[in-house]
Amino acid sequence: MADQFSVLGKKVPRKDAIGKVKGEARYVPDIQLPNMLHVKFLRSPHAHARIKGIDTSKAEALPGVKCVLTHQNVPKVHPQRKFEFLLDETVHRPGEEVAAVAALTPEIAEEASRLIEVEYEILPAIIDFEKAMEADAPLAHQDYDSNIYHGTEIVDIPRIEEDGYVRLVVGDVEKGFAEADHILDGTYITPLQYNCSPMPRSVVCEWEGEKLTCWADTQLPLYLLRDLSGSLGISQGNIRIIAGHTVGGYGGKTPDKTATLTALIAKKTGRPAKAAFSRAEDAIGTHHRIRYKNYNKIGVKKDGTITSMYSNIVAEWGSDTVVQYICQGSAILGACSMLYEWQNSKVESVGVLTNILGYGPMNGFGDPEAIYSVERIIDEAAEKIEMDPMEFRLKNCMRHGDKAMEYEQVLYGPIKWGILGSDLDSFPELIERCAEKARWKEKWMGWRTPMAVDGYKRKGIGISIGMHHTSFWRSSAIVKMNQDGSATVLSGAVEIGQGFATATAQVVAEALGIRYEDVSLNLSDTSAAPAAIGNVASSGTSSPVNSARIAAEDAKRQLLELASQRLDVPVDDLETKEGIIYAKGSSKSVSIAEICFENWQITGKGNNPLYQTIIDEKTGKVIHAYAAAVTIVEVEVDIETGEIDVLSIYSGHDTGRTINPLIVENQIDLGLTMACGWVRSEEYIIDPRTGVVMNPNMLDYKLMTFLDMPGSKDHHRILVERPSAWGPFGAKGFSETAMTALAPATANAVYNATGVRMYCGSLTPEHVLKELEGKDFSKV
Amino acid sequence: MSKMDLALNVNGLTYEIRVEGTATLADVIRNEIGLTGIKLMCNDGDCGACTVLMDGRPVLSCMMLAIDAEGTEIMTIEGLADADTGELHPIQASFVERSGMQCGVCTPGMILTAKALIDENPEPDEDDVRAALSGNLCRCGNYQRITECVLFTVQEMKAGE
Repeated sequence: MADQFSVLGKKVPRKDAIGKVKGEARYVPDIQLPNMLHVKFLRSPHAHARIKGIDTSKAEALPGVKCVLTHQNVPKVHPQRKFEFLLDETVHRPGEEVAAVAALTPEIAEEASRLIEVEYEILPAIIDFEKAMEADAPLAHQDYDSNIYHGTEIVDIPRIEEDGYVRLVVGDVEKGFAEADHILDGTYITPLQYNCSPMPRSVVCEWEGEKLTCWADTQLPLYLLRDLSGSLGISQGNIRIIAGHTVGGYGGKTPDKTATLTALIAKKTGRPAKAAFSRAEDAIGTHHRIRYKNYNKIGVKKDGTITSMYSNIVAEWGSDTVVQYICQGSAILGACSMLYEWQNSKVESVGVLTNILGYGPMNGFGDPEAIYSVERIIDEAAEKIEMDPMEFRLKNCMRHGDKAMEYEQVLYGPIKWGILGSDLDSFPELIERCAEKARWKEKWMGWRTPMAVDGYKRKGIGISIGMHHTSFWRSSAIVKMNQDGSATVLSGAVEIGQGFATATAQVVAEALGIRYEDVSLNLSDTSAAPAAIGNVASSGTSSPVNSARIAAEDAKRQLLELASQRLDVPVDDLETKEGIIYAKGSSKSVSIAEICFENWQITGKGNNPLYQTIIDEKTGKVIHAYAAAVTIVEVEVDIETGEIDVLSIYSGHDTGRTINPLIVENQIDLGLTMACGWVRSEEYIIDPRTGVVMNPNMLDYKLMTFLDMPGSKDHHRILVERPSAWGPFGAKGFSETAMTALAPATANAVYNATGVRMYCGSLTPEHVLKELEGKDFSKV
Repeated sequence: MSKMDLALNVNGLTYEIRVEGTATLADVIRNEIGLTGIKLMCNDGDCGACTVLMDGRPVLSCMMLAIDAEGTEIMTIEGLADADTGELHPIQASFVERSGMQCGVCTPGMILTAKALIDENPEPDEDDVRAALSGNLCRCGNYQRITECVLFTVQEMKAGE
């Protein structure tokens, strides 16, 4: 199939590769400006306290200190829809910023921050999210009447009900349970996880007159632009955000108040200023993956028909709102409709505030958490009716035409179901291909039978399916034709490591009919690029890349019209290859370079259409954009040490159309490795008494290493391509699907190996040993 | 705080600078010399991103005082490509050709650690590569691809002999 294209589907080198291997790629922490000040923060040691008094005189007197900001001298604004103010008189979590200090060096700024004297009035704090839901629990925010979020002026969610729940219903769950032969239920806690971007948060701000330039390590330059404009009260036109090489953020790169405070300091001192967090500050001062407590109840018939599914999802938000509610919308939809063809389904979900760090988006955006529990109760249901779990999934998985929705609709309405595209027929194909590659039929020995037992070591196999919204959102791009026939793409989206620059260049080269080498990019400079959503929620391919495709087609149309006049050949009789426009069946031709030189400036514009405009002709319903994934995992569990070794991974994905196989495989590996860490080792520990993060470093917070992942012969990526209705040339966003299926597949494999269902979330050796305690392994 | 004079040999050039006695090698090379190819992920010796080669051996530049590096030859990622022709080192070329990076923060440390491995053991197998790089963390989860890039370099260098 790929042969019909000249650039698409090819393993071209990444646009950012040479700069990155030579150490030339410049990231925000690398920026040094003349006269630049360094900003450090004093942070609250308390989970909940009121600042009675704050004395900055000693800090200000330290030589080299240029500016100290506290709640007394900053505007009272809420950065990015947070509860807390920019700097607040009340602190709501350990690690909340109390003061910002700017000095000639980071060391002086840090020393000065320690000289600030703060008198705190300690307020009752609530750390445990389950206790927070009780009627007499201390309030996480004194000026809000409940720990259960039920709407505020800052964040209005129209579909939230008075009790704080958002609900989504299909059919009649009670009727469905009445029809079931078996009803099973269980409560699952999802593991904690820190985004742990390779570089801690950083931002540099500089003013020239009324104009602010902000170099920010962010995956959402547009949101930062809106936020800075609102907080500082200046027009968006006077703010230039440059995101340049953004470090992997996995959902966490939103600098919010750090950028605003740094901009205020730069303004006040008349000097450029840089704030760069330490690893520990990043671990306690940025948002992490939301923790969910999911109760699931499923009804199933003996023949494998699922009659009903109920989910109650409690989302722990921590101390403030970032976009937790949107993640939660995604989780609600994930549990309610995305994996299986439920006839009767009901989900209700609530968000709970506590006095710990704020939770927010991370790779998968609600789906991994919903799927982690759904895919485990599905396993239990298959066991109850003694059906092979692979066959059970094959029988019930979503297919083309099943109901679908955007997750924003869950929160904002209207509740109007559309359908899935034909590409969602990929579920059965992915299940079958993964099972074949893994030799599932040979390895699955039946329920309660491990693959192998050798002393303390027990091997097991497990399967899960997963899915993620591919986010077909508003986005704009410009393709500027240069006078030598090369093209420059202006896009507000970000190269964050995911390969966006490369994919965009491949798509634009293909659409224009020029060489890949002749496409360059100017990304995420808000003074030049039109608005784009940024790179979140696997939206890159379907949204900003797609708008670049539309812009390239607009430029191409103009080029062909000009060539048509020049060659005196109708537009329809022209074709383009490697920068030359040919008249079909004749010797007439003209280069794109000549057309561009003669016509001074040719510019193509692209705006993504609204999702509501993509309609299925047969049913008249909106087609929604999702991507499917399947993962099979083999594990070895050491019941003496509690250690889980992942022996092999078989992971299947539907890319719609693969723009670049190398980059697609990179993104699959990212999700799989991060999911391995999520379920096996990455647990940050919060002190239940104080709310303080106990392991804010990369030694005690354990990421996967080379040796924790399977070797090459045991690591399998399986790709299918079913062109989608939304993305460029049928490609779609799929990256985060890799995060969704591995964790439940691992948990299911651990059950196969040990015969113990573990409901504890993180399957670290410590938790696994606790779950195995007192279990009799003499029989199997 | 007391400043000290220091002559530091980095990528074949000697820099005569005055630094704080407590300054790390990473900070001095990044901030005083201006070679920002050294990346700091943890700044605590846990992740390998700041790896440089000191007399050919990988060291963590965030865990070492700059003054202790005097008298050694240091190579950072900026010194790896051929200084005259600009030609990439085979490991760099392999990372470019096979997408051996995503966000790129761990990349300089990965490449330099791999170079030290190949210099010492010109024919490492997959297990050798994984063991040698196991102190280098990649949050983008690119471990399979990085291993592949290093092994491909080994093959190419062998074929070119």
